[in-house]
Amino acid sequence: MSTQKVSTLSYLTNQLWSGNQILVAVLGICSALGVTNRLSVSVTMGLSVSFVTAFSSFFVSLLRKITPDSVRMITQLAIISVFVIIIDQFLQAYFFSISKVLSVFVGLIITNCIVMGRTEGMAKNVEPIPAFLDGLGAGLGYAAVLCIVGGIRELFGFGQLFGQQVIPLSWYATAERPDGYDNFALMVSPPAAFFILGGMIWVFNLINKRT
Amino acid sequence: MSEPQPNQPTLPAESNVKTIIFMVVLSFICALILSVLASALAKPKEVAKDLDRSKQMMIAAKILSHDGHFLIKDSEGNYVPAKYLKDGILAPDPAPGYASQAELLSVYKQRLRPMLVDSKGDLTTFEKAKLNEEEYLANYKKTGYYKQPLKLIYQILPNPSTEAATEKGKQEPIGYVIPVNGFGLWDAIYGYLALNTDGNTVIGITWYDQKETPGLGANISEKEWQDLFPSKKIFQESGSGATDFKTAPLGITVVKGKVSEVLGDNPKAKSAVDGMAGATLTGNGVNDAYKSVLAAYRPFLIKLQSAKQTKE
Repeated sequence: MSTQKVSTLSYLTNQLWSGNQILVAVLGICSALGVTNRLSVSVTMGLSVSFVTAFSSFFVSLLRKITPDSVRMITQLAIISVFVIIIDQFLQAYFFSISKVLSVFVGLIITNCIVMGRTEGMAKNVEPIPAFLDGLGAGLGYAAVLCIVGGIRELFGFGQLFGQQVIPLSWYATAERPDGYDNFALMVSPPAAFFILGGMIWVFNLINKRT
Repeated sequence: MSEPQPNQPTLPAESNVKTIIFMVVLSFICALILSVLASALAKPKEVAKDLDRSKQMMIAAKILSHDGHFLIKDSEGNYVPAKYLKDGILAPDPAPGYASQAELLSVYKQRLRPMLVDSKGDLTTFEKAKLNEEEYLANYKKTGYYKQPLKLIYQILPNPSTEAATEKGKQEPIGYVIPVNGFGLWDAIYGYLALNTDGNTVIGITWYDQKETPGLGANISEKEWQDLFPSKKIFQESGSGATDFKTAPLGITVVKGKVSEVLGDNPKAKSAVDGMAGATLTGNGVNDAYKSVLAAYRPFLIKLQSAKQTKE
């Protein structure tokens, strides 16, 4: 890290690419495997995590001067939990079907390594606004990766994007034409996300090495 | 963390008090925020849950597809996509949109009528039984409606066609939905079982409220698994191919593995579905739920059967 005064916005942009939490730190993998078989679910999860990281970073930073050092982790957890419960209740009230698909994963944002990583690693050391941007960036970087994985999985696993058929139904294999197109069944199950993520990290490293 | 912190030269005793005060205040604020939120969102949450229950019931009854568009039965007995016209009337449409909330509620009101079954198997309405429908539904959900002397059942009514004047009390039901509940691996599970008017053939099933393991037992609420149930028989056929409705075992068995491998051509295969890998205990819970719930409805199901035979 350079000692030069960095512009506030770079807290956000840094998290999106060069410090991407999934691709660089390989954090938050559990939910990235669990909830990415549909694009709409990935988007919801990505936005929920962005909301939680951004606001919990903000409040952790706001309280950083009065938080006793011995209980700082508990404090962070309490703040994170409040925002996770807010999101969970909100989804249950207004997006019931999505909250059913996300099931335990929303509650498990509390233990998502990214959130605590950002509050402990960044927010408790900087001003509230940079902390907020840093958290938002981390969440959005996570969301972007989730959307790519979710998009690939939904496209090849179901032939759809956002629940709309993308691959024409006329391409599909039928009884008369058994050599037609078939959905890639592996894509529907969580291990597919594992392979895609591995591939993405590889491509990411290739690009970063060149520049 | 063992290094001394030059920025905080407070004494240990003081800092302990400060820490405790800090935590108490923080917990209080967090609790306050959450309780305000919980009471503010209680109503929309209840509405969302109710809507989901109605949706799931319509999915079991094959009025709604898993993807969220309406279905109707065509002349050959296949379920085809349908769109909403007005007043709960559906018409076939090869490319229907998603059903809106208002449409769902209107169709639900028109097509599903809650009734009660007594211990002899006779149907009665809530008005005749002098029961408050809302109270009844809310009070006995946890214990299961099948344990009540008057058990809940929903009649599936036919699609109100445009020309026929629809007088609600006179429509002949085209099927029945029985609320099912039991225990899965982790917690109570709640679902619906829709049956044909013969009281034997399954139209469809759903499980709408469950906390099973995601990816394993939670597959009971997935379309793929629920699609195994239609046209199964709840009365187990005996070896001779006939069914004795008074004594035949009731229920649908979730086998371990594939039905074709476990049971082969055994007539039991008509009352069994493939199990889910890694979810044996959830499967057992589902078996027990069907067994105990359907046993309570047996007199009613036998009546349906004999009514059908006299008609033929």
